[in-house]
Amino acid sequence: MPGASLSRWTLTYFACALVCLLVAESLMVMGFGYPGAAIDAPETLILVHLVAIGWLSLLMCGALFQFVPVLVARPLLGEALPPVALAAILLGLLALLAGFAGLSDLIAVPPEMLPLGGLLLVAGFGAVMLSLGRTLWAARPLALPARFVVVGLAALLGTVLLGETFALVLSGRLGGDMALSLLLNGVPLHALLGLGGWMTFTAMGVSYRLLAMFMLAPETERYSTRLVLAAGTLALVLVAAATPFAMSAGAGLAGLLLAAAATGLLAMGVYASDVVALYRQRKRRNIELNAVAAIGAFAALLASAMLLVALLATGQLQTRIGALTYVFAFGWLGGLGLAKLYKIIAFLTWLECFAPVLGKRQTPRVQDLVDEPRAAPWFGAYYAAVGFATLCLLVDLPTAFRLFVGMQLFATLAIARHFYRSRELLNVPPELRRGFARPHPFLPPARKVP
Amino acid sequence: MNDLELDVRPILRHGGEPFGAIMGAVARLAKGQRLKLYATFKPEPLFHVMASQGFKNEAIPLEDGEWMVIFAPIDGERVAAVESVESQAASPETWPDPAHYLDCAELDPPEPMVRILAQLEIMADGEVLFALLGREPIFLFPELRARGHAWAGDFDETGEAYRLMIRAGGRS
Repeated sequence: MPGASLSRWTLTYFACALVCLLVAESLMVMGFGYPGAAIDAPETLILVHLVAIGWLSLLMCGALFQFVPVLVARPLLGEALPPVALAAILLGLLALLAGFAGLSDLIAVPPEMLPLGGLLLVAGFGAVMLSLGRTLWAARPLALPARFVVVGLAALLGTVLLGETFALVLSGRLGGDMALSLLLNGVPLHALLGLGGWMTFTAMGVSYRLLAMFMLAPETERYSTRLVLAAGTLALVLVAAATPFAMSAGAGLAGLLLAAAATGLLAMGVYASDVVALYRQRKRRNIELNAVAAIGAFAALLASAMLLVALLATGQLQTRIGALTYVFAFGWLGGLGLAKLYKIIAFLTWLECFAPVLGKRQTPRVQDLVDEPRAAPWFGAYYAAVGFATLCLLVDLPTAFRLFVGMQLFATLAIARHFYRSRELLNVPPELRRGFARPHPFLPPARKVP
Repeated sequence: MNDLELDVRPILRHGGEPFGAIMGAVARLAKGQRLKLYATFKPEPLFHVMASQGFKNEAIPLEDGEWMVIFAPIDGERVAAVESVESQAASPETWPDPAHYLDCAELDPPEPMVRILAQLEIMADGEVLFALLGREPIFLFPELRARGHAWAGDFDETGEAYRLMIRAGGRS
């Protein structure tokens, strides 16, 4: 049975993700965590995991539940899993954040809170991997974009397992020299597998298909895309292979990570040329806001790569890792997420509301659900704020940093309001909207959409 | 066996749509017979339609930009996978020839879906629509199923165009 249905829980994932982003940005405006606190302080860890799990991972999971079936042209297997996974991830995240808060005596919680949160996260992301993995497995042989997702899911598995190991060590449940050494040396591996493998690699794969689809660019499988897949996978394998060195505090760790950085940069460079080719070869002259706003994210990816090279060359990577992570997480991953959400929310809402009556009565177009001229400046403001906030981190201006994060928060709120207006059909002319029920902002329809 | 000749140049010169006439001629073809078609331009969209029906083509340019195309049946042509609701599980070979044609190859989603569903609404039950798309219309299929239409579709040899035949079914 070919074809894909609407993913029922995707909008719920998106709503939870946006709430986490707004909370994280608010905390930073208030001066919580880095740069006010140390980069490895529990407060900073709260921020980092709120962004990485709450915002970026929930966003990615929600998107994948919809787009893996589209990528492989088959329905999602394990349809009952998405809500279970969401509940487990949210509970796990709360427990994890509470555990971090306990580490810095912000609140009194038993030390087991950290590994408990980690276990819930393993269960939640395990359910995600099970559902998506079965769907992908059943669709072999896979097209290139889907293979990126497979590698991304493997990186996710590595990330959560490393994370849970850290949690066990921190709570005193797991001891010994090797475990301690892994905690002291392995954090970069955890971060690289998460941000670089799971999120970036998956986002790259999905972006190939989405950009081609909505800009009408040819979707032929390029040799260069194979190169991105191969080099990127190699970089991630190198990172994973560094784990034993981290456990034994071996001298090979730095060398492996440097090799991973080199192959990772190669993958990014070829990916950038692929993206430029997709934009150049598009048949659609006037591109929509989601594709315009995504350019900001690609610029942030390029800026991150250049900053990484500069920091490596000047030996400042350790001291400026916060700025690099900031522009990578909020500019590249967050920017791409917000830009694509602008299209995805409108598209899914349009399908949910109007597909059943297409041809039977007059319906609005997808573009009637959005108000691009009003939304566009907010994306500009968002990227500008991320750029300036990163600069402030580079030159140690903590107060100015908070100011620009405030601007970023304001822009995010404005973009979220546009999401809401598009979801609730508020931009649709009243005469076209008449007779249609407004969908729930973030819960699935009561009746299953065919 | 003589080729069946069809000249659609007069229809085209009067601004008409020759698709019905061509499909009518295809329906009259005897087993193994070839169709010799005359047109005022190279009818490339038709090549996809005919390929989906198991014909290869040979296009020969004439004077003044006109073309003669010979469609010859291919033996043992692969039959596209058929999807349909239970009661209509008939193979597309038994369907009537397409009476309507939509070229959606240059449209971005969801416009092909919008046009195809709108076209199906004004078609009589049992009539067949042929649509050419740039990609597999994944969100269209559940809607076709819900409305009781039967369809068969596949990618062309290059993988760049998706060919879709839909037989209008009973209204649900």
